[in-house]
Amino acid sequence: MPQPLNSKDAASFRQLVKLYEAKQHKKAVKTAEQILKKNPNHGDTLAMKALTLNAQGHTTEAFALAKTALQADMKSHICWHVYGLLYRSTKQLDEAIKAYKFALKLEPDSAQIQRDLAFLQIQMRDYAGYIESRKAMLQARPALRQNWTALAVAYHLSGDLESAEKHLKTYEDTLKTPPPRTDIEHSEAGLYRNSLLNEMGEAEKGLEHLETIYDANLDRTAVMEARAWYQLQLGQSEDAEKSYRDLVVRNNEYRPYYEGLEKAMGLDRSKSDDVAKLTELYKELLEGNDRLDAARRIPLDFLTGEQFKPAADQYLRKMLIKGVPSTFANIKALYSDPARLKTIQELVEAYTPETTAMNGDANQTNGDSKPSRLEESRLFFLAQHYNYPRSQNLEKALDYITKALEITPKSVDYNMTRARILKHKGDLAKASEIMNHARELDEKDRYINTKCAKYQLRNDENEKAIQTMSKFTRNETVGGPLGDLHDMQCMWFLTEDGEANFRQDKLSVALKRFKSIYDIFDVWQEDQFDFHHFSIRKGQIRAYVDMMHWEDRLREHPFYARAAINAIKIYVMLYDDPNLAHGNTNGVNLEGLNAADKKKALKKIKKEQERVAKEDADKRDAEKKASPPKKTGGDGEPKKEDPDPLGLTLIETKTPLDEAVKFLQPLLEFSPKTIAAQNWGFEVYVRRGKYLLALKCLIAAHSIDSQQAKLHEQLLRFSQTIHSLTEPLPPKVKQVLDANSNIIPEFSSLTNFNDAYLSKHKDCARRTQSGLSARRAIGQSPQSDIEKNLVKALDIEGITLKEALEGLELLKAWKSDTKAYVEKAKKVWPEASAFGEGSDS
Amino acid sequence: MDIRLMKPSDIPHVQQANITNLPENYFCKYYLYHALTWPQLSYVAVDVSRPPKTPYDPPKIVGYVLAKMEEEPADFVPHGHITSLSVMRTHRRLGLAEKLMRQSQRAMAETYQAAYVSLHVRVSNVAALHLYRDTLGFKVDKVEAKYYADGEDAYSMRMDLTDMQLKDEKKKKPSKEEVDDEEDEGEAVGSEGKKPSKKSGGKKRRVKVGRGLGVGDLVERNESSAKAE
Repeated sequence: MPQPLNSKDAASFRQLVKLYEAKQHKKAVKTAEQILKKNPNHGDTLAMKALTLNAQGHTTEAFALAKTALQADMKSHICWHVYGLLYRSTKQLDEAIKAYKFALKLEPDSAQIQRDLAFLQIQMRDYAGYIESRKAMLQARPALRQNWTALAVAYHLSGDLESAEKHLKTYEDTLKTPPPRTDIEHSEAGLYRNSLLNEMGEAEKGLEHLETIYDANLDRTAVMEARAWYQLQLGQSEDAEKSYRDLVVRNNEYRPYYEGLEKAMGLDRSKSDDVAKLTELYKELLEGNDRLDAARRIPLDFLTGEQFKPAADQYLRKMLIKGVPSTFANIKALYSDPARLKTIQELVEAYTPETTAMNGDANQTNGDSKPSRLEESRLFFLAQHYNYPRSQNLEKALDYITKALEITPKSVDYNMTRARILKHKGDLAKASEIMNHARELDEKDRYINTKCAKYQLRNDENEKAIQTMSKFTRNETVGGPLGDLHDMQCMWFLTEDGEANFRQDKLSVALKRFKSIYDIFDVWQEDQFDFHHFSIRKGQIRAYVDMMHWEDRLREHPFYARAAINAIKIYVMLYDDPNLAHGNTNGVNLEGLNAADKKKALKKIKKEQERVAKEDADKRDAEKKASPPKKTGGDGEPKKEDPDPLGLTLIETKTPLDEAVKFLQPLLEFSPKTIAAQNWGFEVYVRRGKYLLALKCLIAAHSIDSQQAKLHEQLLRFSQTIHSLTEPLPPKVKQVLDANSNIIPEFSSLTNFNDAYLSKHKDCARRTQSGLSARRAIGQSPQSDIEKNLVKALDIEGITLKEALEGLELLKAWKSDTKAYVEKAKKVWPEASAFGEGSDS
Repeated sequence: MDIRLMKPSDIPHVQQANITNLPENYFCKYYLYHALTWPQLSYVAVDVSRPPKTPYDPPKIVGYVLAKMEEEPADFVPHGHITSLSVMRTHRRLGLAEKLMRQSQRAMAETYQAAYVSLHVRVSNVAALHLYRDTLGFKVDKVEAKYYADGEDAYSMRMDLTDMQLKDEKKKKPSKEEVDDEEDEGEAVGSEGKKPSKKSGGKKRRVKVGRGLGVGDLVERNESSAKAE
């Protein structure tokens, strides 16, 4: 029941609402308390006080008070609305929706509650609920165009395109006079309706409608693209050709326009008859357009053999003479074809100042271009060429870049490439050093600064890296440079810093970084919220719908997958060995100790940990004294100091597998075709005893790559695990298992299965490692034999440094002696830091 | 390298290109604000020749221009503004910056009747100055003393776009009323998403301190105003 206040208190209540809105929280609380003195059970006031407390950061108190408010006045829509707002602020959107619905039941005419509810529904992708809300909002204000558009969007997102289109049309039909041409909302609405027709596959209707809005529409690019597309769909070749030619004139560096033009002209790159015509077409398009790249580069994609060579020659000369540093980046896609790769290599190696002067493109070589420029570009190109995996020869690469550096020692680009080559040789220390040298050659350029920090991280120099980054970050922000990088969502740094910590067994900090990536994805998801309102108001509907679709699959981004897989690895390690949570055990093997000694050792470790934490805190304090930080982050939000900067609390979780699942679920949902996601899904589920889910991961991985190394070992382990279960499998699991007996090897034949795999893949290092790992898992042969074979696997031809490092990781995981392995690997990769001194400790 | 419109799904890598190349950085929501308010104006340069590594490979963004319309122009003339432009060092000398700028400028004139486009550039940035003045035809409007937070001056530059505006045969150019006639009941997301000035180059003026992460000021205030009803 509404609880009436006397007029003075009612005025105070209105004041309270105003103070809250003006964010004068202290005054708001005071005012609330004054009202409550006389009316201690006034629900609405209690609710407003709760809302204010929440804004001040007292969330627990706020929830308790909001409950009291509801007990005092169950029938108040304000109390329910506030309850909803509290849930909203703690991101419990399901609960918020429930509360809003109660509020709306009590106050059905409140536009505000209806609106708040609608935005939560679409944020949660409750399409049916959103349509209902939008219908109600339209009914309340049918004169407003945005209400019609919004309902159409609701239908569209729910998949009902017909209803969406119908509602847009209904509104349009009510317009007596067309809005002025500069009405962007009108212009967009027309295009939005047209895009719906296109999505419905109604090309004919779509084109017809497009012609009615074409001339007046403000988004020229969009209407031109749509017209060309429809004409192509409808087989109106001549018109389509003209439309695509117009588009190419408009933007001649966009491949889909060229592809459209080819299609409109009925040309097919795979038909040899058409190649001459295509060549002619691109020649024509290039005419008089010296700065154009696309029309010059595209023919290299379809020309082959004898025709390819002169075309490639011409292209390469032009670019190299001009000294375009991205020439190699622009050309390397052609390397998937070994014939083209060979041609390019031969061409560029043969370029000399003389041949260019004699045979070069006359336009390019008369006068201003110096032969030395070509020679330099050639050396740079070849250095990159021999550094590239498909054409790798690191000695040659180093040789070429050294020659280029002799000509221009202070080139940032050449030094950068030299660092990359060294990195590929495994010499991370030298690579980092050279990249830093490159940075010093141009200290005002953030690009090279960024690269330098990355190389420092690859070399596990985390301190140095953050110092490098700090040359361009806002260091007065809360948390210093690292705080700024968090605020600015600098994914690559957080990921690389996490991985570097991981390599150094600093699991807590590593986990902290991967968790921060996870959190940024939450922020990105939350970011869309305001636009449910904003975009409808602005009328930019197509862009909004586009964003919604992106948000729907936000976590398929490789940034997410990489961080998630790392985090899952750490959680699995923590599950297998909870002692890891105590940080670096300084080589103490806790397993072999009796209870009393273990306790003692743990205490010592804990003490050490506290010492490190204190050191870190002292350092921060000293930095703060030197330059007192602001209280806000880079986004202007008030920020508090992170209470757990080293992740020590984070890593002490008692339920590592539950935490792993939080990372795993989006990974499996959005990146099911990433085989590593399935691999780690298996590791988590098999440990949780969720055999059906584990099996699902194996089946999925099998369909991606049935011979994958990791999968092989997992198949064996799974068979073994199932066999050794004391209780029988649930019938359903058994059924699925039997249905997939072609994938999962029989327990009785594991040895044969593994030996067959090993002999089939004896030329593949990674698969050999996997087979050996499986031998150990099923106890097929003594560990010392397996270790010897692992060392022997270093002889496999073509084994890469990365694979060799993975072998080393296996030995470390088995707590085996790595000496023999490292000694042998060192001979193959003498520069590799990982096999250098100290790595066998 | 393709030159094409920036889509919301490009934002993570536009953001990455920005923080790789430039000292002035923004969080995701600020890019979203550009992409959703003026979706015709921001462009990206994409390395399309890169062989994909995974089924989920995002496009490889090697350059971008982030652009907007001035929301409340002091001179009441609709005009565009370049918020940020950069090209990866590895992809320079291909003319990408120029190509990005030209696409964006035309869209400003065509879609929003921009009469000119403005931008700021550090007086020490010779390469950028060359691009804007000599290649594109910008003129220095004035020097803004200590525009950047590190004390450096900026050239405030602008370029006329009236030739690019759509000319309607039947009608004259839009009258001011029509242009300013937008009904707008709420606050902008944008200036709230913007990062405040920063040490090494952020802009000092015209910055309302942002509320970027999480719920915008806008939503909560609107929601709570229900209480007064």
